[in-house]
Amino acid sequence: MARYILRRLLLALPALLGLVVLTFVLSRVVPADPAATLAGDAATPALIAEIRAQYGLDRPILEQAVIHLRQVLTGDFGRSVFSGRPVAEEILQRLPTTLELTFAALFIATVLGIPLGLVAALHHNGVVDNLVRVLSVGGLAIASFWLAIMLQLVFSMELDILPLRGRVDVAMGMPPRVTGFVLIDSLIAGRPELFVDGCRHLVLPAVTLSLPGIATIARFTRSGVLETLQKDFVLYARAAGYGRVRLAAIYVLRNAVTLVVTQVGLLFGALISGAVAVEAIFDWPGLGTYAVQAILSADYKALLAVTLVVGVVYAVVNVLVDVAQVVIDPRVAEEGR
Amino acid sequence: MGFRRLRAAMLAAAVATLPIAAAPLPAAAQQRPLVWGDTLPATLDPHAIFDVPSQFVLLNVYDGLYRYQGNPPQLVPWLAESHTTSADGLTWDFTLREGIKFHDGSDMTAEDVVYSFRRLLAMNRAPAAAFSPVLRAENVTATGPRTVRFVLSSPYAPFLSAIPLVAIVNQRAIAPNVANNDWGAGWLAVNGAGSGAYRVDPATYQARVSLDLARFPQHFMGWSHTQRPIDTVRARPVMETSTRVLALLRGEIDATDSYLPTDQVERVDRNARTRVARDESMRVFIIRMNNRKPPFDNRDARLCFAHAFNYQGFNDVILRGLVVRNGGPNPNNLWGNPPDLVPYAFDLNLARQHCDRARAAGAPIGREIEIHVQNELEQTVQAAQMFQADLRRVGINLRIVPNTWAGITGATGQPQTTPDMWVHWVSTYFVDPENWVGQMYDSQFHGTWKASAWYSNAEVDTLLRRARASLDRAERERLYQAATRQVVADSPDIWVYNTLNLRGLARRVQGYSFSPVGSGGELRLMSLEN
Repeated sequence: MARYILRRLLLALPALLGLVVLTFVLSRVVPADPAATLAGDAATPALIAEIRAQYGLDRPILEQAVIHLRQVLTGDFGRSVFSGRPVAEEILQRLPTTLELTFAALFIATVLGIPLGLVAALHHNGVVDNLVRVLSVGGLAIASFWLAIMLQLVFSMELDILPLRGRVDVAMGMPPRVTGFVLIDSLIAGRPELFVDGCRHLVLPAVTLSLPGIATIARFTRSGVLETLQKDFVLYARAAGYGRVRLAAIYVLRNAVTLVVTQVGLLFGALISGAVAVEAIFDWPGLGTYAVQAILSADYKALLAVTLVVGVVYAVVNVLVDVAQVVIDPRVAEEGR
Repeated sequence: MGFRRLRAAMLAAAVATLPIAAAPLPAAAQQRPLVWGDTLPATLDPHAIFDVPSQFVLLNVYDGLYRYQGNPPQLVPWLAESHTTSADGLTWDFTLREGIKFHDGSDMTAEDVVYSFRRLLAMNRAPAAAFSPVLRAENVTATGPRTVRFVLSSPYAPFLSAIPLVAIVNQRAIAPNVANNDWGAGWLAVNGAGSGAYRVDPATYQARVSLDLARFPQHFMGWSHTQRPIDTVRARPVMETSTRVLALLRGEIDATDSYLPTDQVERVDRNARTRVARDESMRVFIIRMNNRKPPFDNRDARLCFAHAFNYQGFNDVILRGLVVRNGGPNPNNLWGNPPDLVPYAFDLNLARQHCDRARAAGAPIGREIEIHVQNELEQTVQAAQMFQADLRRVGINLRIVPNTWAGITGATGQPQTTPDMWVHWVSTYFVDPENWVGQMYDSQFHGTWKASAWYSNAEVDTLLRRARASLDRAERERLYQAATRQVVADSPDIWVYNTLNLRGLARRVQGYSFSPVGSGGELRLMSLEN
């Protein structure tokens, strides 16, 4: 098992290395030049050239790439050209906020998606099944920013039961930082009211982000369950007089979960990329908004670091998924040899 | 709704536990903090950045020697009580007021002013650009405890106009936080070291996410000008326009940014809780042409484009008349702008005539022209789309290229990489024609985004350089008017409008006073009804 995990991790390394190189090349192909922006409104050509030299932007591209790679390998992401702060520090401050959102969305997607898929499969071609099918297509087709604004209009503006934006209530302020996760830090600080507030701010963005996930998981659960229902052992069990519910719970679902777990890894990538738009609309101070601001200001250091961090998180999640699959079904590891 | 009661109870509990920085008011008069929804700058360091959002920090956390007040902006003595200029225009002496306190309670002296300018010039970032060509660090000296002398290397009339850009920082607060010779930049990016009307709370600061400010009761200007000054301000930038408007209508924020989309104005004004402040600014909307790239090296071709833009349609229909037609590079309401300037009119027949003439002279009118827009700013896209449709009617094929501010300005370093055309605004950096016609059309600025028309006219260069060096306001006025007339006749760019800044405000905000520098974000002038 340990050897399997180690091998999985090692396999992720070349991919991450490729990511570093690729993002660097992309950042240089796009002719955005932070020096011009930094030099500001009354820039002189001399000032722009000076800033370029200061950041090494005037060096040959290959040399820049080597320097960048060396820095990344030593864990030095440099400083944001705009805020003057270490990029690593800024990202660490925001990573937990994005993870809170993506995990919450993943949780919602799982607890809603699996039962929906299961019910749909058990009532194959029935009303519920068709509804779930519509939802699966719709959930993937609906633009998240449109859904976000609709949810804001309904639950914030009309019903006034959920906050419109932000991570916590403006009057309350963030809890003292321990882990960076507001929900955990508020409990550590012994402020249950802040925990509740943090949860309420989480609802709309997490629901928005989870919709494509619900659709995907429901679809896979449904097809997984249908497939399992055709299997011989299910027929035997039925013949032996097992009830539908028991059958579904014990045999069918367990087999279907393996399929779903496979999906979670892929889904996580979609969630992180979807978080960019959702974070922007809800003013969620995570990596998504950070990336958008970095793009708009050509803060390439920040952008390269965000891409890499997201890549690492994605790789780690996928290794965890692989491990979970082995735990559920040890035959997977054998196949991987 | 149980939630509402719960929220009210929670709010009360939270407010009760808030550390009130100023003297606590009697409980009955407890004031809800002002929530400011405008964009925050990337850094709090006033010497590292200069853009529209950074002015909020500059005007509230810091003070300068002089400051712009009102609209049209007047330059008034601020930390300085007066200044004198030598006859040759090189030596400037400023005298500080007495009794100015920094936020840590220490006294401001001439040494702090010297340190601030030396730090600015050493860091050499955006706000330094106005000074670095004419001022060296060793030529800023304290001639007494309250007197500072600047000796310029050449006469530079806009010097005083640019003085408000420079925040005076507290040397003693920064000194312990300097790391590897960075002038404390890493620390000042997330802290305050000023004397301004409001103090930064570094504990709750998160870059571009939240900035809490507390009133500084000992501010040198005092607080007698307002009955109910705002004690606590929470800046919470809202990224998306739709969320920003909703947050204002719902009362989650008290102010939007000052670029409220024109189609939202009525909606905000109709709401009982909110209103829109409309103020003529000094922010000119421009469509640039790269005069070094054919066909734009041909004046007839440029005039063809200038007559093919539907100014009235854009200003009055798309922007609902919430802007002012501006026919030249300077804002209409700025001195030095010719009062009799006639803007180019939308006239497709005239455009066709100019295009025919340009074609006859060999200009490649038939080639596909690229116009770069700033994708994050919808209005630049709208202008390009409308222009595209009208140009098609005179046989010109315009292709719209989505880009960003950073992407375009990064490409304007050379004429070959500068787009054929692009769309942007020129905002107020300092209130002087130098900020517009001076830096846009003097060929010595080629290579900067402001001069990206690559316009070259020896006569205009001479006029602008004389205006820059003269200390006689009447003469400068004459020179700028002459230069502007010549530039407009050559039609290097397409000038569309001067902005009306539109800021959504909660009606409980009183005393909001707009100035083109700072866009009305000066908090000391405001008060709250409740």
